[in-house]
Amino acid sequence: MEPLSQTWKEGLAENITFIVTKDCQLACKYCYLVGKNEKERMSWEVAKAAIDFVLEHEYDPIFAQESVIWDFIGGEPFLEIDLIDQICDYIKSELFRRNHHWFNSYRFNFSTNGINYDTKKVQDFIKKNKSHLSVGITIDGTKRKHDLNRVYKGSEKGSYDDVVRNIPLWLSQFPNESTKVTISSADIPYICESVLHLFELGIHAVHINCVFENVWKEGDDSLFEKQLMKLADEIISKNLYNESECSFFTEFLGKPLLCTEQNQNWCGAGKMLSIDAAGNFYPCTRFAQYSLRDKEAWIIGNIHEGIDNNKLRPFLTLDRCTQSNPECVDCEVAEGCAWCQGENYDAAKTHTVFQRATAICKMHKARVRANNYYWNKLYRKLEMEGKREEFEKSHPNVKPEIC
Amino acid sequence: MKPYLQYLVILLDDTSVAYCHANNPLTERNLMPIETLKKAILFGMKQNLMIQYVYPDYELPAEYSEVIESIDHIKIGKDVQVLNEVPKAVTTDNLVLRLTIANFIAHQYDIAALLPQVKRLNICLTDIESFADAQQEDYKKALATLNAVLVNLYKSQQQPQVNILTDRLTLTEMHNCEAGIGNITVAPNGKFYLCPAFYYDEKMGISNRMNHKTKDASRSIGDLDNGLDIPNKQLLQLDHAPLCRICDAYHCNRCIWQNDRLTWDANTPSHQQCVIAHLERNAARDLQQQLKVAGFQTGEDIKEITYLDPFDVKETW
Repeated sequence: MEPLSQTWKEGLAENITFIVTKDCQLACKYCYLVGKNEKERMSWEVAKAAIDFVLEHEYDPIFAQESVIWDFIGGEPFLEIDLIDQICDYIKSELFRRNHHWFNSYRFNFSTNGINYDTKKVQDFIKKNKSHLSVGITIDGTKRKHDLNRVYKGSEKGSYDDVVRNIPLWLSQFPNESTKVTISSADIPYICESVLHLFELGIHAVHINCVFENVWKEGDDSLFEKQLMKLADEIISKNLYNESECSFFTEFLGKPLLCTEQNQNWCGAGKMLSIDAAGNFYPCTRFAQYSLRDKEAWIIGNIHEGIDNNKLRPFLTLDRCTQSNPECVDCEVAEGCAWCQGENYDAAKTHTVFQRATAICKMHKARVRANNYYWNKLYRKLEMEGKREEFEKSHPNVKPEIC
Repeated sequence: MKPYLQYLVILLDDTSVAYCHANNPLTERNLMPIETLKKAILFGMKQNLMIQYVYPDYELPAEYSEVIESIDHIKIGKDVQVLNEVPKAVTTDNLVLRLTIANFIAHQYDIAALLPQVKRLNICLTDIESFADAQQEDYKKALATLNAVLVNLYKSQQQPQVNILTDRLTLTEMHNCEAGIGNITVAPNGKFYLCPAFYYDEKMGISNRMNHKTKDASRSIGDLDNGLDIPNKQLLQLDHAPLCRICDAYHCNRCIWQNDRLTWDANTPSHQQCVIAHLERNAARDLQQQLKVAGFQTGEDIKEITYLDPFDVKETW
């Protein structure tokens, strides 16, 4: 097979997610999956039917992208490594047998807590599929930050030690992979030390974001801003900006946006397809019942009856301004302010995806202030050192990916 | 002009006649208490709303008459006749025909025969959710049948209105149902609803658009004692409906209740709603062309378009 870089059509990929299990070894305190359980494990029959459905509809608009990401999510997906291995083998053989346009233009994608990353079954799977594989391990930072939230189910025992031991193996196999860090209210004091710790572990790309749920307390924004400024100082003074990046700092942030020209939706819900153990289809995993606190699951079809396109129409006509309140539309620092369509739906006053949740507003504004500080300070330093041009050439501006 | 609240629909009884897309599944009489009726009328007066009483098929108690007549109003089910079958003849100027799509197609000639007898005919399709793309040609033919009669009537100086054909000729902007924006409904229980269909849903225990039955099936938007409370009201407005605000099927009902059932979002029409509205829009264009040839002024030209569902061309918006 060709190496990944030659076969992968970046940015033109359909995303198909298997919710292979709703179980996880951990019970992270900020986890949005409110309905995790040990019962809802995908069967081979459901997985096969889902694959057959997708591949049989090769020319439907929703599956017409040049490439595909087969995403595996949980709970913890590697708890179902036997099923995953069977699914991936079947996908590969069927893509070949059907001469499907996704043949050799696919990727298997995993986001794992990393606990059983070094087991023989997982490692065998990685070796078998290495050229078409992305694996991200989620580690939240220092031991005290990680263990604050990422604890084992049924106990308060932190999982840091069981994750960090697998980081060297993971980075040896996927040296350019990033990690995802989630920030909730209690984590704010540990942001700076945690990002620096992840850099020290050899993870050079840290994708970090505040949870979208309404968890923020009075004064959190101020603490958050101070932590980010401290982090900015550390990154700049230690010249870490050359090799490492933290997604909190981006040049695409904090400017006003026009509804006429910058009206695209932030989220990709509706352009993706998620499948659960019951064989139901969702516009994104966040619309499955185990992800929703107050609303009913938004099921758009199933493996037997196919997709009800009417249920996708709201998602595919969403734009930024229609779902935003006037304060967000007129916000002078609107650029880069993210939202999760699932959280919007869950928090909305009515059954709609057209009401934007704004719990993150103060945190975004604090981030913008710290981000401005970072770039002003960094560019001044680079100017003084005569290295700005060189830095800009080696760090082309790339807009952050949407969800 | 931006729509504003102008009409108050008062359901006098649970069995009041269904006059729009939704069938009334309620079969047990439940008359609005007279004190509630007085409150509803007072609300309408203070909000400067035109009252539309919706009648059941039985005679109301005598004491209701004086209250009902205490304010200007329209009587749906009386002044406006509502029928669920195509009659051979009518004795009213203003008729609402509620039909399934199959019945509309099957009875197109009988409906055409009614046109000389009325000033206005409103066709309400009661099963748009079942409209299949394979029915498009038959629906187009049925509309063409009505068009042919309309052209002849125009030539003989009669100009009956048919909502799904002639309304579009004179409209230059969206003129839709406007439930919750231009009109609201008060039910016998004294609560407000976007339209009668939401009251029916509540009474049937259908809590929301997903049609799941739950203990709390409230669909009300306030009551006569505490006033209106319409959450996410902006989503009922045209500027918050991405598909509709770029559309020129101006006569389309944009039925919020149908949206709620079929796409699960009040501001998003279904494929079926869009296709039906565009078949009608295109038929109105044909009618306009024929009337122009016959020498009639018919408002702004309706442009030729190549799609039936704006969703299919959303990349070009």
